[in-house]
Parts: sequence; structure tokens; C-alpha cells
Amino acid sequence: MEQSIKHIWTLLKKDILLEVRQQFSFYGILLYIGATIFVIFLAIEDPDTRVWNGLFWIIQLFVCINAVAKSFLQESQSRMLYFQSVVSPQNFVFAKLLFNSLLMLVMSLLSLLLFSLFMGNPAEQLLAFTGIVFLGGWSLSLVFSFLAAIAAKAQQNAAIMAILGFPLIIPQLIMLIKISDAAFSINAKVPLTPVLMLVALDAMVILLAAILFPYLWKD
Amino acid sequence: MKNWLFLIVLIFINKLSLAQNENAEMADIMRRDGKIYVVVAVILIIFIGIILYLVRLDSKISKLEKQQ
Amino acid sequence: MDAYMNKWWWKILAVLLLVYTIIAGLLFDVPRIQILNETIRNLYFHVCMWFAMMILFTISVVHAVKYLRTNNLKSDILSRHYAVVGIVFGLLGYATGTMWASYTWVDPNNPAAASFGAIAREPKLIGAAIALLIYFAYLVLRDSIQDIDKKARISSVYNIFAFAFLFPSIWIIPRLLPSLHPGGDGNPALNPQDIDDRMRLIFYPAVIGWTLLGVWIATLKVRLSILKEKNLLSK
Repeated sequence: MEQSIKHIWTLLKKDILLEVRQQFSFYGILLYIGATIFVIFLAIEDPDTRVWNGLFWIIQLFVCINAVAKSFLQESQSRMLYFQSVVSPQNFVFAKLLFNSLLMLVMSLLSLLLFSLFMGNPAEQLLAFTGIVFLGGWSLSLVFSFLAAIAAKAQQNAAIMAILGFPLIIPQLIMLIKISDAAFSINAKVPLTPVLMLVALDAMVILLAAILFPYLWKD
Repeated sequence: MKNWLFLIVLIFINKLSLAQNENAEMADIMRRDGKIYVVVAVILIIFIGIILYLVRLDSKISKLEKQQ
Repeated sequence: MDAYMNKWWWKILAVLLLVYTIIAGLLFDVPRIQILNETIRNLYFHVCMWFAMMILFTISVVHAVKYLRTNNLKSDILSRHYAVVGIVFGLLGYATGTMWASYTWVDPNNPAAASFGAIAREPKLIGAAIALLIYFAYLVLRDSIQDIDKKARISSVYNIFAFAFLFPSIWIIPRLLPSLHPGGDGNPALNPQDIDDRMRLIFYPAVIGWTLLGVWIATLKVRLSILKEKNLLSK
């Protein structure tokens, strides 16, 4: 147990270090967020809350695909072979999930800031909405991390991730949009059940990743 | 329109057997004339035709499997 | 594993059940309900498409799990073909669903209802569309990989992962969105209160019959592709 935590921590540190050293990819995603929001800002002046909500989550979806896609693709075949000899597949996939979650949390916060800056923030319960954004970003990053592993094994690009992932993410996206709707009005309480369901789905993804990843990883 | 939709939803939420309405219009005349049997016969012929095709396909594949 | 494929008894059973479904489904008494009228008989045909689809997808996933456990390529072939036949049933269910809906619970006076969009928003159809999209993606993923073993392994993993999502979505979505579909906010026809006893006598045999027909078609395809593989190996 202790050893596996150490392994996960080392792998996580390696990913963060890589991210810090090769800043172009981080800035690339940042620019992607900025450019998309700017285009929407010019295309739609002053969207009403429902449009704002829908656009925000769709953008989160695309940001997530772009942010997470490279996590497995960047590992070359020889490097993967090296990892296989030193760590267990579970530790490897947990480290990746953790790293992508962190990355996506940062990206969610930034896109929320940019969105509020350009198009205003209709959320009346700002704190609750920020929490929902984090939860949503986390859910999206978990699902797409696993799909990135599949896409990387199939030697495919981010396009196949979208094909594989969109049907799976629909229920979570609908739930997120519903919960956000509640955060947009002053006196509506954010419903607890969908939040719990989202957390349960996240737990399911983690479990499935732990069970299924070993099959993806061996060649 | 809203009322109309509401009515349908209500009908279904209740148990179907309770919500039965003897006044609902059914194709009773068609049944009395016996013309419904024509429809049944046509559908059955088409269905049996497709099944015969499947059976032929099945036995052909069986033959191929035996040759191997 | 494949002994059942060459047996005839279950195929004959499928045909008998379906003949019974057609005759009894069209002739027997059904509850008289406003708006549905005679279309209630669609239960024996349209709803069975969904049941057959879900059962076939479930069989596909079972074979995917089997493949990952045994690495036997035959399981992968089975998994693939059950998925394909499941898609066929799903498409039929989708088409008949939109057809039935547009004649019963869509307001004929509202021009917006004439568009496909008004019907496609229905939660049950969304669930079905998700299932279809998942298995289309499964086929695309399969075709994008060249190596046979790798293809089998990766697509089995996706099959299991996606299927694990499919059930929550089918359960969650109808409870989140407003629906006109019978069965209120649950899953229709699974709830014993939804259908009449008389209808149950035909409905359950119909589900079994349509599913067996799907299994029959799938096994034919499986046997053909196994033959093809053997030919390739012997050359």
C-alpha cells in the first residue's frame, strides 16, 4: 500500500514536472480556451442564462478532450515498456487520473474566469456554481482519461476520443446542466441527488479504470 | 394543447386496466368483417418467407462447415 | 461453446413464438384506451425491439469479458456480431418508436411536432440513441485497429466500459427530463403495473421470440466469419 502510494506520487511528480518543463502544451490549452471563448463572445452578444449554461459546458467538454488527450499519447512505446517493468498498471492509471484531474481543475477555473470576464456570470450562488464546475471538470477528466488510454492504444488522435466519449458523457452533462440551473437562481437549492449520482459515476469510472487498464497496457 | 398532453400522461400514470375506456374507438368494423384475417395472412406470408430464407442460409452454412 | 448454434430446436421455438405473436398480437383483445386505440398492439413489436437490443448488447458484453479472460478470438467474433445485430434491432426500434410517437402523443395541430426534433427529445429515445452511438463508436474503433489481437482486446475493453455507462444513463435520463412516454418517469413495460394481464400473455413470448431471432441471425454471421478465418488460415 505504502509503496503504491509512493509509486503514484512519483509518477504524478514526473507528469507535473514534464508539464512545467514543456510549457507549450499548457499554454496551448490555455490559448484554446481563450480563443474559443473570444469567438463565442463575438458570435453571441449577451447570451441569456440557459444559452450561457449550455455553451459553458460544451466548452468544458472540448477543453477537457484537448487537455486530456495528450496524457497517454505523449508516452512513447519504449517509455511505456519501461513503466511496465517498474510499476503496476493500477498505479500508473491512478497517477494519470490524478494528474488529469488536477489539470482539468485548473482549466475549469480558468475557463470560468474567462467566461465571467467576457460574458458576465449569471450565477447567483457563485460558490455553489464554482463547486459544480470543479465537480464537472473532475467527472469529465476521469471519463476522458480512460478514453485517452484507449485512443492511444489504438494509435488514434483526439477525434476518436470524441466519438467514443460523447455518448458516454451525455447523462453527466445533462445532470451538470440541471444542477447549474439551480445555482443560477437565488432561492433555488442545489439538488443533492444528482451531485451524489455524479460522484457515484466518478467512483465507477475509477473502479473500471483499475479493472480494465491492465488489459490495455500489456502488449 | 397542454391539457391534451396532460391527459395522455395521466392515462399512463394510472394503471392501464383502470384507465380503460369503453368508448375508445377501435377497429371493430374491420374485425367484424373478418378483413383483419387478410392482414394477418399477409404479414404471416412475408414473415414465413423471410424465415425460409434464413433456414436456407443456415443449412448452406452447415454444409460449408461439414466440408471443412 | 458453439454446439447450440447448429441445433434446430430453439430456432423452431423462435419461429413458433413469433407466429404466435403475429396472430395473437393482431387478433386478441387489448385494453381500450383513448388516443392509443389499436396502436397499443405495437407493444408486441416496437417494445420488443428494445428488449431484444438490450439482451443482444448484454450477450455482446458477456463475450467481451470472456475474451479478456481467455484470449480466445472466437469470443471476440461473437461479441462483435451480437453487437451488430443489436444495432439492427435498435435502429428498427428507433424508427418504429418515432413512427408510433408521431401518431399518438404528438399534437397534430402543432406544426413544431411535425419535425423530427420534437420527437427525438424524448428521453427514452435519447437513451436508445446513446446506446446506438456507443455501439457505432465500438465498430469504428474496431475498424481503426489493424492487428487482430489488439483490435479484440481494445474493443472488448471499450465494450465493457461503455456498457457500464449505458445502464446508468438509461436509468438516469428519464428521471431528469420531462417525458410523454408511457410509464411516466421510470422504465416502461418493466414496471408490472404498466401492462394488462392479457397483454403480458403475448408480450413475454414476443420478447423471447424476437430475441431468439436476433440470436439466430447473429450466430449465422458468426459461423460465416469463423469459416472465413479458417479459410484464411488454411491457405
